[in-house]
Amino acid sequence: MITQEQKEKALAILADRADPKLQTHLNSCVRCGLCADSCIYYKAYGEAQYIPAAKVNMITSLYRRYHTTEGKLLPGLVGTRKLNEETAQKMVDLFFGSCTLCGRCAKHCSIGVDIPFLVGKGREMLAAMEIIPKSLQATADMAIQTGNNMGIPVDEFRDTIQWMEEELQEELGDAEAQIPLDETNKQILYTLNPREPKFFPLSIAAMAKIFHAAKESWTISSNYYDVTNYGFFCGNNAQASVMARNLYEETYRLQAKRLVLGECGHGTRAIRWEGPNWLKTTYDFDALSALELIGEYIRQGRIHLDKSLNQKVCTLHDPCNLVRNGGLLKEMRFVVRSAVTHFTEMTPCGTDNFCCGGGGGNLAMSEYNERRLKIGKIKADQIRQTGVKVVITPCHNCVDQLTQLNHTYKLGVEIKTVAEIVADALIINKE
Amino acid sequence: MEWYHWMALATLLFCKTLFVIRLIEIIKRGAPNDLSKPSGSVAKGVRYSYTKAMLPQNKESAYLHPPTFGAGLIFHGGILISILAFIWFILTAIFGWATPEIIPPLCCLCLLGSSFCGVAILCKRVFKRALRALSCADDYLSTAIVTLFQLATAGYFYHSDPLPYYAIASLFFLWLPIGKTRHLLYFFAARYQLGFFYGRRGTWPQ
Repeated sequence: MITQEQKEKALAILADRADPKLQTHLNSCVRCGLCADSCIYYKAYGEAQYIPAAKVNMITSLYRRYHTTEGKLLPGLVGTRKLNEETAQKMVDLFFGSCTLCGRCAKHCSIGVDIPFLVGKGREMLAAMEIIPKSLQATADMAIQTGNNMGIPVDEFRDTIQWMEEELQEELGDAEAQIPLDETNKQILYTLNPREPKFFPLSIAAMAKIFHAAKESWTISSNYYDVTNYGFFCGNNAQASVMARNLYEETYRLQAKRLVLGECGHGTRAIRWEGPNWLKTTYDFDALSALELIGEYIRQGRIHLDKSLNQKVCTLHDPCNLVRNGGLLKEMRFVVRSAVTHFTEMTPCGTDNFCCGGGGGNLAMSEYNERRLKIGKIKADQIRQTGVKVVITPCHNCVDQLTQLNHTYKLGVEIKTVAEIVADALIINKE
Repeated sequence: MEWYHWMALATLLFCKTLFVIRLIEIIKRGAPNDLSKPSGSVAKGVRYSYTKAMLPQNKESAYLHPPTFGAGLIFHGGILISILAFIWFILTAIFGWATPEIIPPLCCLCLLGSSFCGVAILCKRVFKRALRALSCADDYLSTAIVTLFQLATAGYFYHSDPLPYYAIASLFFLWLPIGKTRHLLYFFAARYQLGFFYGRRGTWPQ
């Protein structure tokens, strides 16, 4: 049962008059339903509950019921809903289990309703009531308790880094090649998705190879290297702020000039775009994605690439948080086209891309696994139509989902990060 | 000026007052106070949001649904004509002006077309299962009232009884700020904010 206190906390979020966007978007949707075809859930299931407008209506009907005069006087006429246990469970299913926050619906909305913003508010309401899918909340809690969402002990992390350093030295034939840990006064503090040290350590070596080729001054923190932010997915701004603050303060502690965000879509969005607002401060250091940094190296001639080293036909999966919600469409193509011989686009792509299905915290929520793989078929079909051998994406969450789609739908492709494909094309100057 | 003129003007004042209050609220809240470092231009994003982003070729809601998009455009055109016609009727009641001969047949033609679109939009909502599931009373009522207002305007050009016309116009102005029809105001704010979001991040203009 939902207590009165839980209810009041949740409804207070919709009464926030200081938020410049909230009232506008709560009052804008006309339920035309034309957003249906923009949503992977509706496309996969064809059920009315998955229409983005239905998700909007879930939250606006509560707003009308409790915060508008017409909703109080004419509840049946203007479409209202009571906040009770049943509504809360439906909210969990719609806001967590049926939306990856990809934002494709907002871009195509006939009005311009920021639908993922409203779904995010719905998640905030559920967080205020402490009704978050357990698996997702556990991931966020782990990051708060240990500094990384997989709970990797510092010693284990150090061992992995040392192992990758040895791999790097062997590959480059250079005993001086390093993966520096916890060094101060470096140009760059580099962050990782904990999936890298846990499951894909070679992607750390790939980025280290790029840093080596660029003769970069860089370091990784052994305490706070986690670029992900599951507090953001949970709608728990307090937790999201703690995670953002960890990286912010670590950048100062190590006196780095730039904070480079590893290949993680939502992590980049959370730190680069949302972080300053959670922390209520502007950053006085650069916060940029690894993708932008690699692009910078190529333009400045700090690294040189030989496209012929990547001969297989490649395509690019656009992570929603980096492209539609991050503006990196052109940069991503510039980097990838600089590193591969044959490149082809998916249809649609860029800001019209379909989410892989793993966004919005979906990969961490095992209760929605079946649904996640079903909506991912849209992406799988897109990949199959390109006929490529390699799918590149600068996001480890997308890599995970695409790897599962590759297996489930038997696509027979390789999934690579941008750093990996660039590292494969690097010309290393031995001098 | 008869009593029904005053009644309609009173509802117009009610409508205008509510919209002005909401507009002041929107302006007072201002633009989002975003502390992140921009990588694009808010001004260009907002401009794009109101212009090219609205073109049918850039929105699935338009290019995947041309009949609905077309009907929606015509229907909204009809609303504009109806509101302008209402102002004209009030002015003629005050000053005794005569309506130029070309206006009634032209407006009637437009309004019959837009009313037909209104009925079609309403039918779509009634008969399409997914849309019906999404709808509440407001959705049917708003389209019905606005369509009725357009039909009444078309009829009134040909000197039908003023009472039904002004009663329907009053209902329209009463409902406009209450029902989902209030998107008349919020639409502009929503597009501004979407342009702000995408512009600042360098997603728009494309």
